[in-house]
Parts: sequence; C-alpha cells; structure tokens
Amino acid sequence: MAEHTVVFDAAAEVSVPRGTLLADAARKAGVEISQPCGGQGRCGRCAVKVTKDGVRRRSTLRLSAEDVEAGYALACQTVVEGDTEVTVPAQEKIARLLTTDRTVAQVQVPTGYSAAADQTIKRFGLTLTPPSMVDQTDDWSRFTAGLRQQAGIELGHISLPLMRQLGAVLREGEWQVTVVLDLAEEAAPRLIAALPGLLPDSAPLWGAAVDIGTTTVSLWLVDLLSGEVQVQTAEYNRQISRGEDVISRIIYGSKNDGGQEMRGLVLESIGQLLERGCRRAKIDASEVMKMTIVGNSTMMHLLLGIPAASIRLSPFVTAVNQVPPFRAEDVGIGIHPEATVDCIPGIASYVGADITAGVLSSGMDDTESISLFIDIGTNGEIVLGSHDWLVTCACSAGPAFEGAGVMHGMRATRGAIEEVWINGSTYEPSFRVIGGGQPQGVCGSGLLALLAEMFLTGILDKGGNLNSSLPTDRVREGEHGLEYVISWGHETKNGDGPANDIVITRVDVDNLIRAKASIYAGFTILADSVGFPLEAVDQVLVGGSFGKYINVEKAVQIGLLPDMPWEGFQFLGNTAVKGAYLALLDKHARARISDIASRMTYIELSADNSFFEAFTSALFLPHTDMDRFPTVAKALQPELETEE
Amino acid sequence: MPIEIPKDKWPGSVREITLGATAADGGTRTSTVTVGGEKALPYMHFEAQMPHKPVIALEIRDRLPDDWSTLLLEHWGDTAKDPAAWAKAAEATGVELLQLTLSLTDADGNPNTPENAVAVVKSVLAATGLPLLVFGTGQAEMDNVLLVAVAEATQGERLVLGICEDKNYRTIVAAAMANGHLVNGRTPMDVNLSKQLNILISDMGLPMDRILMDPTTGALGYGIEYGFSVMERLRMAALQGDSMTQQPMLVTPGFEAWKTKESKVGKDVPAEWGDWLKRAIHWETMTATALIESGADIVVLRHPESVKRIRVAIDELSAVPEMA
Repeated sequence: MAEHTVVFDAAAEVSVPRGTLLADAARKAGVEISQPCGGQGRCGRCAVKVTKDGVRRRSTLRLSAEDVEAGYALACQTVVEGDTEVTVPAQEKIARLLTTDRTVAQVQVPTGYSAAADQTIKRFGLTLTPPSMVDQTDDWSRFTAGLRQQAGIELGHISLPLMRQLGAVLREGEWQVTVVLDLAEEAAPRLIAALPGLLPDSAPLWGAAVDIGTTTVSLWLVDLLSGEVQVQTAEYNRQISRGEDVISRIIYGSKNDGGQEMRGLVLESIGQLLERGCRRAKIDASEVMKMTIVGNSTMMHLLLGIPAASIRLSPFVTAVNQVPPFRAEDVGIGIHPEATVDCIPGIASYVGADITAGVLSSGMDDTESISLFIDIGTNGEIVLGSHDWLVTCACSAGPAFEGAGVMHGMRATRGAIEEVWINGSTYEPSFRVIGGGQPQGVCGSGLLALLAEMFLTGILDKGGNLNSSLPTDRVREGEHGLEYVISWGHETKNGDGPANDIVITRVDVDNLIRAKASIYAGFTILADSVGFPLEAVDQVLVGGSFGKYINVEKAVQIGLLPDMPWEGFQFLGNTAVKGAYLALLDKHARARISDIASRMTYIELSADNSFFEAFTSALFLPHTDMDRFPTVAKALQPELETEE
Repeated sequence: MPIEIPKDKWPGSVREITLGATAADGGTRTSTVTVGGEKALPYMHFEAQMPHKPVIALEIRDRLPDDWSTLLLEHWGDTAKDPAAWAKAAEATGVELLQLTLSLTDADGNPNTPENAVAVVKSVLAATGLPLLVFGTGQAEMDNVLLVAVAEATQGERLVLGICEDKNYRTIVAAAMANGHLVNGRTPMDVNLSKQLNILISDMGLPMDRILMDPTTGALGYGIEYGFSVMERLRMAALQGDSMTQQPMLVTPGFEAWKTKESKVGKDVPAEWGDWLKRAIHWETMTATALIESGADIVVLRHPESVKRIRVAIDELSAVPEMA
C-alpha cells in the first residue's frame, strides 16, 4: 500500500500508509492531540490546520464551512491520502475557534457616547470669590450664584444635610468646590454632592449598574465620563436562604417582619458587591453618585421595602411598575447618601425591569429581523419580535442553570467546571475549569454540557434516567439514587474522599430537564401565540449568567434552544445588567426602555393548559417530538446503528 | 335523495400486535390473540372496518388477594386459592386473555421469590391455553427480580410483561427482548408521557410490535373523562401518523372500578345506592364500556358477570350496520 509523508508543525515527520487517521499519524510522530470524546468526531477538540492538502475529511460535523475553507480538519475524522502538512493549534485557541462556542460579547462603550450630551449626572468645578468685609454675601447665595455664572445652572433642590455641610466644604477647599448634580429633571437640577477643592477633568465620575436577579446579583462600576466599565462583580442573592423562587420570597416577605428581613438581605448582597467592587477600583463607595437598578418586579418591591403580596394574588398587580428616582440613603444603599437611585420600570407582575433592560441591550427592538430573546435565569423571560412588534412571557425555570439547587452547582467563577466532554467508549470525562487548576463545582454552562454529553454517550436515556449497566464506576448508587462522578475527590479543590467527589445526581438531572423544558415550552407557546413558526426566527439571542460562553450545539442537543443553524445564535451574557449599564449612561437609552415597556404584549402562560402540554412534551431529551430536532436525531442515528 | 356521508381518511394506523405463541411459533398456547390495526376512530365502520375487535382479559392473582372486594372473593370462592384452578375458571368465562398479577409477599408476609413466581406462572400456563399477561407487584426492585426469572423460564411464549414505567423499564424490556416476550408500559394519563415511554422502550431495541401501552384511566366518577380524552387524543395522534403513539391500548377498568367506595363498601351507605353487587357490576361495566368506546384494545376485568356484559357491548359496537 502507498505510503505518504505527514509533517506536523514543520518539525515532526512521519510516514504512514494511505488511509491512516491523522490522529494515529500524530501519535506515531509523537505529537500530542487530545481527543476528549474518544475520537468520535463529537467534541471538535482535535481540530488541526492542514497547510498542505493531502487528506480526506470523513466528518466535519463540528466544523463550519469557513473552518474547512480555512483548512481545519478533525484529526480523528480525517484520513491521509497524500503527502500532507499539518499545524496543531494550542488547545485554548481551539476552544475559542469552534463555531458552536458562543463567547459572550465584550462590553463596549456605546458608539458615540458623550457624557456631555447623554449623561444626567454632571460634575463642575467652581472657583468662588471668598467673602470679605465688602462682600458679606451668605455662603448659599455665593454658591448658587457661582453655579449660575460658571455652569449656567439654576439649582432646584438641595437637601438639608448638604446645606448643613456647605459652609465647611467651601472653607476647606478655600472657595474652590467640586459640584455633582443630577440634571435628569431639567427644570430643577438637584445637588448630589459638594466636595472641597477641584478635581482634574480626567478623574472618573462613578456610577453603578445593578441587576438584582432572583438567584444572582450583579454589579458593574462605571466611569460615567468615559462610559467605561471598570469592575464587574456578581454574587448569589442572599435571599436564597428564604426561598428559591419569587413566590416563596413573596410569601416569606408577607409574614411577620419578613419584608424587612428580605430587604436587609438584598441590601447586604449589594453592599458586599459594592465593597468588593470599590476595593478593586480603589475608591470609596461614597464616590458613587448614581446607581441604576434592574430586577424583576418582586425583587424591586423587596428592595424598596414595598409589600409584594399583591403580585402573587389574583388579579396579580404590582404596587408600582414605574418607580420614581430616590436618594441612596432612603433606599438604604451605602453609596453617596445623596446619590440618585434609578429603578428601571417593569411591565407587569411577572415581566420586570430585567426584561425591558434585556431587550434594550439586545437591540432586538431596533431591527427588522425577527429575534427570539431569552434571559435564562430563575425566571426565564422570553421575548419574540422585531421593531414592529414584541410579545413576551415568563416561565419559572428555577435556578439550576445558575448553578443553584444542584448538588455541586456553583456560580460561573474561578474553580467552576464550565465545559465537559465525555469519552463515548470509556465514559471518562474531561473538562475545562474557569481559571484553570482543580475544580470546585460545576457552573451553568458546565451543567448544560454535562447533560448533553451524558445524553449523547448513553449515560442518560431520553427520559433522564442514568444507565447503571455501563462498564464504568463513575455511574454509582448515591444518597439520592444513581449519580455520575465528574471528578474524584482527590482531583478536586475540595479534598480527598468520596464525600468530596463532584457528582451530578438523578435529582440534579431532573431539575435541569425541568428548567430546560420550561424554557423551551415558553418558546413554543410564545411562537404559537403569534402564529410564527419557531424555526423561522432570524436570530436567537441568549442572555444569562452562564459565564463567558455557552455551547450552542449542546444547548440544542438537550432541547433547551431550538434546532437552528448555529450561526443564528448570539450569546449576550448578562443582558439585564448590561441594560442597566446602558440606561445608567445614556438618558436616551433610559427613555427607550420606557418605550419598550409600553410596546410589549404580555402572554399569560397560566391562562390555559397549553403551557403544561408544551412543558410535558419538552420534559424529554431533546423533546418528545423528535421532528423539532432534526440535527439531534441525525447525531443520534450512528449510535443506534452501532448498538444493533 | 341519497346523502353522502363525509369520510375522514387517516394517514396512520395502529400497529397489529399478537399476544401468545402456539407450538408452531415456539410457545405452548392453544390460541393467540391479535389486537390493533385500526385505520379509523373506534367503530367508525363506514370509514374503515376494525380488523380486530377489542378483547377481554380477566385478572387473577398468584395467591388469594387480601385487598379485593369480598364480592369478588365470594364469587371465585376456593378457586382463588389456587392460581391454576383460578385460571381454568377464568378461561371458562370466555375471555381471550388472562392477566396474572404477582404479589409482594406470600400469605404469611414473607417476600415473594423468583422460584415461586416461576412456579405459579408455569402452573397457569399448564392449566390454560390462553395467552398470558404477567404483571409485577408494583415495587420496582422486586419486579425486576421476579419478572426476569419468569421471562427466562417461559422463553418464546410471547407473554406480556409489565408494568414498565418511565423510571423503571430497562430490566423488564431487556428480559422481554432476550426471551421473546412483549411488554406493557404504563404512564399517568398524559399523551406526551405515553409517547415518551414508547420511545424509551423502543430505543432499547425492542420491536414496536411487541409494545402495548396503558395510558392509565380512572373509574366512572373518578376521572374517567380525563382518561377517555387522553386515549382519544393518543388514538388521533396515531391515526395522524405519529409513529410513537401507534401502540394498541390496554386499560384496567376492573382494578379501577373495584377500588371505588361504591364497589368496595356494602354497609352504611345511602339506601338509594341500591343493591351492592348490582352496583359494583354496573360500575365495572360502565367504566369498561366507556374505555372501549374511546379506543381500548384490551380491557382487564375482575368479575365474570362484567365479562358477559362487555362481550355484548363489544359485539353490538362491532356489528357493521347495513349502509344504504
């Protein structure tokens, strides 16, 4: 048989018979190519670049047309049919190259942002004439006159505490003073702060964007002058200890002093993030002059200490949808006491500010193409539409995809397993950990990948049952029934011993399947409500606290996202906090949110039993109706053949 | 003037399934039963004739049941103490099938054993020539042990083994697959769940012509409307061509009817409830008739008097009227 020469990385040369797999040739040449899925062409991690073509690709399942065009080939699925040259890219590079990995879009300052034109918080430096025996004008008049003359602003509001301090501040700065104003109300500017001395123009003017999620609270610190995000930080909402979903929180908050306790817990969560964020930015929290907050209606009520009971009870009305701006001290947030706290408006009891802000940050209200937008969180809010129309619904998905309510779940932070592959013949997993090093738990994207891999390798059947008859000790009987061991205790940060093994249990699997079923059912009902076929949407925009990226293919394989070409998906990251950020910066964006809120049509899922029907139909991997998932059916086919 | 009756033409049909195997096919049954094959909604003879009438099974136990109505126990008397005798007596009522339910324990409270289960099944098979359905105790771990032993000891008989559920089906299906039997899958009154279990079972490689589905029902007055509508929708999905819903349907109106207060209790009930036995038979009969009308292919009953009445109902429904 004909022999061909294969050169790896222009260094290692090997001669192999025609028809040899590139992966085998590499092994012979002593070149390491990892194959986490066991060489089945599923994971795509063995992608190499063929620089001199002498190969035939048996499968390009994990590669896009552009990838192939660029010369990429899967080493485990490509045979040598001529002399050829190959480059092996670094693993990290591969991880980011595959079309199915949708990395979260980087946060960028909105194009054309101008603090002068768009920002409602303004800072001015004033230099006043000191008083003297010939000029005995009072401090307050001297100050307001200076403001009028030097900044052209007629002050509308000042608080008593500020007026008490004014004289001392003016003297401490030797009649030079930095003024921070809120100009949102044009006719009556409000004084936020008067600080002694002058600051350089380049000194940041701090604001904060906050998303109060049912499970996760996120906070960004922003320089309002440049528009740049300086710090991003997130933590679980401390209210979790008083109930996982909004309903149980409302119930708890309605009893005894529960409302005060809930308010205290969320304020603590925000306080913790502020402290961490300010430490990183090396500032004092009192330097933050404005905070824009989004959250679902329940979270907003609990934060403000407004009774939320009516949200839960028919006819399901909130106490307030459009919250006016408040002083930080009144809300109880430890930034500058006079800072403006701006709560973004919601639409209804179960469609809150998080979704209006999400739509804003997704931009779907501003384009002609039909988008499906999903914020994957404890309440999965879904919006379908374009600039002409928007329909929305909310389905209670639970916190599983945020890593909560799952035995070894965690937030998408250092030490979390964020991607998993399972070898189809040995059932051994390999995974990637955020920040590298040993794993501590699994975050949302890791759980999603795990579910898909367990399903594709037959560890799970379509009903989510674990198969205990496989030749592996990783599927075992645990405290809560069958479980799969992702990482043995001694390989983890948690320490040696079976108690420290990182596992996914049957109960976890059920939780994840329920979460994905709830979301997919929401898609189908929403699409049905306007008679628009789900498959016909132009793009699917995914938001959520998944971490840096989401594997679209795996999300489709488990039936979380509709089966569409991968190119149609975009991962937007935490869209709610991003929406808060945009509204924090730009008064025009803030106004657009109100416009979005007024244009959305809300579909109530509990109105009839069609949601339940769609839900039970989706409680299956990927779905009871396989015709909805043609590419998954195709991916499962070869496995069925080999089983025969 | 002649009236043209509009006819529906359905793209799909129900699968035909044969229960039991004669000597020629590797079993020991003297007769087999084929169900399914419907090409139209139940008894719409003008659209398509039903190739097979619904059939009746009587339920017997591996020992004298301690949770059955005294009316049933009085009727069967001592025959209910011996499964083989009971099977013979049941066959004599003219049913097409027997359904044997295994008990969790023996009369003294000791756990049932595979040896005992095999012995009982074999004695029943020896006593009658009818195809047999063997259902487990309802406790997963026990069923997986008992039914595997039964399946192996009766290879080739085309028994129906049950009851597969979505959380426990693998062992039973594997045993049926390896030994030439059929399975019955039960799901709690939901179209999607029925379909899902059919998919799970067929994914293991068991041919679809060896799967019966039990969509579960409720007795008259205890949710039968819901069961009726689920069966109706399953049948419509089958006729519309949804391959994973095209299994013949088995339901257990005997079990459902005899656990209602109306059937179970004879004392301290309102006088207007009337005669206890009459009432209980009515209950079983009304429940079974409604289910047959919704498309049931196999009904499992408990009282021979109900068998008689259901036979009449089936014959009348199945009679093809003269069309002008």
